[in-house]
Amino acid sequence: MGLVPDFLLDFVTVNTYWTILFTVHALLAVALLGALTHQAMSVLMPVRQGAAAGGFVTRFRAVQGAGYAAAVCILWVVTFFFGAWIYTKYRMYVRIPIEQQGFWKTQGVFELKEHLATIGLGLLPVYWLFWKDARNPEYDSARKWLTVLLAAMVWFMFLVGHIVNNVRGFGS
Amino acid sequence: MTAATDTRSAAPSLARSAAFRTFAVVCAIATPVIYTICEIQNWPLFTYHPGTNRIDLFWAPPVRNEGPAMHWYGWTANTLIGSAILGFIATMLPENMTRRIPLSLVWIVPLAVVPVLIYALKFFWRW
Repeated sequence: MGLVPDFLLDFVTVNTYWTILFTVHALLAVALLGALTHQAMSVLMPVRQGAAAGGFVTRFRAVQGAGYAAAVCILWVVTFFFGAWIYTKYRMYVRIPIEQQGFWKTQGVFELKEHLATIGLGLLPVYWLFWKDARNPEYDSARKWLTVLLAAMVWFMFLVGHIVNNVRGFGS
Repeated sequence: MTAATDTRSAAPSLARSAAFRTFAVVCAIATPVIYTICEIQNWPLFTYHPGTNRIDLFWAPPVRNEGPAMHWYGWTANTLIGSAILGFIATMLPENMTRRIPLSLVWIVPLAVVPVLIYALKFFWRW
């Protein structure tokens, strides 16, 4: 049935346990998505110093990117941890029916999602370095494109998670 | 000057460390390469059987009537350990050598392995 600590089952049912875990994973993913999207916008379309206060889009991209770096790293690791935990259940009770129903492309994009999640883990130290030493102009270009890449990865992973949940998630 | 640069503050000591810089850069370049190799060659450090919660060292097939075998955890373990080891080894190299590593590789290499990984998943791209 996947990884379920026995003592927890004294307090919640198995279904409630996995629902809580999945919901926490999804909420953490939303936070990570928001943080990285703000940051990516701030490097792709930086707001000029002294620019008059603009509309929603201007305020959206006017964030202080460096302040997000540690939070993004922590969110990635914790979201990864919960995703890896849920994966034990997914492999038994989601993937097998998906394959039986012939949703091969859905399973394929999920496989790609898990690949990107691991690769992203290895990029976090250099991502943190680039943002924490933001005075160093040597890092400017790499920081920009690495941030955009991580944001694109999170968007992909988020949407795939959503699709898989639609195919066989809550209530299935 | 951008809004982002306005708020630049003094970097923490770890971020100013040359050794950490080398470790982080090498780790970022090695991770996608090692992961892709582990995935294509199917080299997990261990295999997890979710049906029985059993773990086998290295690659193991699914056991009959005991559900599937999972290798992703083992690929991830290999990748993180391997890239960390390479990162630590790189910190022992002279700084003038490690400074020559192009920083753009930290985003180009992960991007470059994506088509390879998509191709490796060709089993799933059927209509």
